[in-house]
Amino acid sequence: MEITQFQLDALREIGNIGSGHAATALSTLLQRRIDMSVPKVWAIPFEQVTAIVGQLDTPQATIYVKVEGEASGKAVFFFPIESAQIMVQALMGRNEPLDLYSDEMAQSALKEVGNILVSSFIIAISQFSGIPLQPSVPALAVDMIGASLDAIFLEEGSLEDTVLFIDTQLSGIPKIAGQFIFLPDDGSLKKLLGATGL
Amino acid sequence: MNGVINVGMADYKTARSPDILLTAGLGSCIGICIHDPLLKVGGMAHIMLPSAVGSLGGNPAKYADTALVLLLKEIVGMGANNSRLRAKIAGGAQMFSFPGKPPVLKIGERNAVAVEQELKRNGIPLLVSDVGGSFGRTIHFDVGTGELHIRTINHGEKVV
Repeated sequence: MEITQFQLDALREIGNIGSGHAATALSTLLQRRIDMSVPKVWAIPFEQVTAIVGQLDTPQATIYVKVEGEASGKAVFFFPIESAQIMVQALMGRNEPLDLYSDEMAQSALKEVGNILVSSFIIAISQFSGIPLQPSVPALAVDMIGASLDAIFLEEGSLEDTVLFIDTQLSGIPKIAGQFIFLPDDGSLKKLLGATGL
Repeated sequence: MNGVINVGMADYKTARSPDILLTAGLGSCIGICIHDPLLKVGGMAHIMLPSAVGSLGGNPAKYADTALVLLLKEIVGMGANNSRLRAKIAGGAQMFSFPGKPPVLKIGERNAVAVEQELKRNGIPLLVSDVGGSFGRTIHFDVGTGELHIRTINHGEKVV
């Protein structure tokens, strides 16, 4: 469906609210001041997501949550492996690098951080649209970003061809960036954007 | 110098030796590699779903059945002999699992089954099948030698 400039502004607002929630939650969790900004938002056909993502075989940490409710869909937050490493070390209070591919404690910490981030955006979408949404338990993959995303795109259910994409940047921890994607199920986008009065 | 030709998602490309075909970050998608060892030509398709049946049009390169037909047609069009064609495939992983919830529909597995069936139906021997697991793959296919180079992040690297 066609996305207007107004709707993109709404999406940016959702991004701002979401990153505000995420920053607050992370500040509490990591006991330090964290700010988050949203440099870019997109509403694009899902085939084009890979173009924004860049190198498809770059390792990234991907958190995937299914969203239930009136405007169901799939929510994803992913960040570069270096960012994931910094975040997990901060969370676990460790100075040495952890093996994010096999260390279960590290993966569990990563899943927790990712869940906070992804939930922050889902709550923002819900607040903005007034439609209640419930996230599932999170699933984690630390692997090539292209591989993780194609698996999410193709998993059960028919997707809308438009994907909402929110770029986020954190400050307070050095060099951390991440991206949030919401893939609305068929029909959900209209409900979401309709509910925002646009 | 060899050219490296990138094959995107839901896309297919053909090449002549010494060119290399590449597709990066295969998850539950599958890379189908076909070549004629004598003529040293071949192609690669990056398919996403098992079958175009029931889909509303769209890009035929997205589906195992329709993509293979297109790929074979183009390779044969380059002068390859159907009876000499050989296949190697990689991908079809299950990247995520949710605790306590077995996936109803393992799309990677279904893709692999569909690709194998379609190859069989078209009479193309499948020499190598590196499918499944829970990890991504990046593949390079040398259409001259038929060598398939498979790289993963944390599950090694091999040439088959």
